[in-house]
Amino acid sequence: MTIKKKLFEIICLLLFLHVKMTATKVPEVRDITRIERIGAHSHIRGLGLDDALEPRQVCQGMVGQLAARRAAGIILEMIKDGHIAGRAVLIAGQPGTGKTAIAMGIAQSLGQDTPFTAIAGSEIFSLEMSKTEALSQAFRKAIGVRIKEETEIIEGEVVEIQIDRPATGTGTKVGKLTLKTTEMETIYDLGSKMIESLSKERVQAGDVITIDKATGKINKLGRSFTRARDYDAMGAQTQFVQCPEGELQKRKEVVHTVSLHEIDVINSRTQGFLALFSGDTGEIKSEVREQINAKVSEWREEGKAEIIPGVLFIDEVHMLDMECFSFLNRALESDLSPVLIMATNRGITRIRGTNYQSPHGIPIDLLDRLIIIATSPYSEKETRQILKIRYEEEDVELSEEALTVLTRIGLETSLRYAIQLISTAGVVCRKRGGTEVQVEDIKRVYSLFLDESRSSQYMKEYQDSFLFNETQAAQMDTS
Amino acid sequence: MEASTERVLRYLAEVEEAAEDVLADKQQIVDLDVRRNRNREALNALRRDAEMSDEDKIKVCFGSMFIKLPKKTTRQMIHKDQEQLDKEICDIRKRLKVKVNRLNELQGKPELKGFNLSPLSRDEMKAINQVLKR
Repeated sequence: MTIKKKLFEIICLLLFLHVKMTATKVPEVRDITRIERIGAHSHIRGLGLDDALEPRQVCQGMVGQLAARRAAGIILEMIKDGHIAGRAVLIAGQPGTGKTAIAMGIAQSLGQDTPFTAIAGSEIFSLEMSKTEALSQAFRKAIGVRIKEETEIIEGEVVEIQIDRPATGTGTKVGKLTLKTTEMETIYDLGSKMIESLSKERVQAGDVITIDKATGKINKLGRSFTRARDYDAMGAQTQFVQCPEGELQKRKEVVHTVSLHEIDVINSRTQGFLALFSGDTGEIKSEVREQINAKVSEWREEGKAEIIPGVLFIDEVHMLDMECFSFLNRALESDLSPVLIMATNRGITRIRGTNYQSPHGIPIDLLDRLIIIATSPYSEKETRQILKIRYEEEDVELSEEALTVLTRIGLETSLRYAIQLISTAGVVCRKRGGTEVQVEDIKRVYSLFLDESRSSQYMKEYQDSFLFNETQAAQMDTS
Repeated sequence: MEASTERVLRYLAEVEEAAEDVLADKQQIVDLDVRRNRNREALNALRRDAEMSDEDKIKVCFGSMFIKLPKKTTRQMIHKDQEQLDKEICDIRKRLKVKVNRLNELQGKPELKGFNLSPLSRDEMKAINQVLKR
């Protein structure tokens, strides 16, 4: 049975490949390359759930937080279906319990097609832009519009170009262009305009070209493989392509996804499209936004566009003030609204800009609209696993004992501090010529770098010798 | 065991049939395009020798026979054929989409994104291109 099943899968695969080549092409174009350095959450590949949305203990870089991940998985499914819009989720928990990790996991499992915008709560405060403008831009960045472009093209390999010049030197040139695909071959008569653009593109026999039927624009795709040995000396940038298959005159359909914000920017007249280069978009008038909303909904009714509600993630949401929260209340109710995910590590605290106390530093009326996911501190075993994933990610070898010591440190101080020690210990280890980080290396960096509690201990002891010390230690106020 | 084998076979046959359908349509488009291009070449050839008047007769090949026909009639004939071909190719392309979708469904693959959208007009696309071609 298993062999049969295997065979069946292989056949399916072959069939798939075969059909894929022949089916009408609808390639998805998205050429945003993400340059990834080793960031704090670079090891996260997804939420680590199985098909039944049950979380695996260790999977895709996620460890523990089973309940929170299961909850996030359900929300993820709702987002993927695209049916919910204007919902908001709050991820709440102590510092270092994986709130951002869960948000990153959601972002990773959404895939390329769903827009995901991440901002930090403090990012919206700027002199050039009002807070609400920054927020609405973030909102609109998180909504994608899917559109389709359709062009009739002639695609083929150039077999021959023949250009007749009149004997007098002046007058109209005429010519012939022979194009072929694997299935067919035909001759086109050329006018003087076409000849001009062909010679401008330096098209010669053996090139694979496309001609846009509507505009007559010629595009060189590369040289055909069969002509690869025509010349020995070839520029390094010469690209070789297969001779096209099928019919010569094709219909090409390309699906693009753009965000509402991008459409806003090109239509914001005072800025022009130059704004896209400088990145300085300034404020966008609400009339422009309304016009665009109208246009997009018109397209949607005509079946020309699909709206993809994406995800807006606001980290450190307690940094928003009262005005922002009331704006969020309002913005969530619009029909073009993404799913809002917020994260905070605050307990009952003052709402920024007011004297009112509220859970998570968020007004009660907004809290009422939220689904709240709680994260809890990691256990010893989970801490150990996270550290293990991290040292693999950072390319540092760690001995068993060193890992145990590090886990201890992680539990007693903080997980972030322990993760910091991995790379620093790695450097110390390399300096002494070792390949594997030992307990001594950990001890050394532990003595070199203070964690938060030891640092504050030190402060308390040597308070008097620092400058500007105030004897009465004021409570830290971040709001 | 026996029943499941039967089921797999039936399923495979179904998928194979759908795929064959798609391929046949594909081939038909190619064949029609071959004819379309041959017609186009013929029209060009008719246009090229300008000294012939519309009343002059030219030889036209029908299957295995050459028939002399007035130039004007020939041109009209080919034009008509060309229009017919364009329409047919368009129809097949439309049908093909449904078939590809069905095949994807049979194979349990997700539907292609934006497959059923109608395209934007040229002007609208021009505006969008400003976003895309940064």
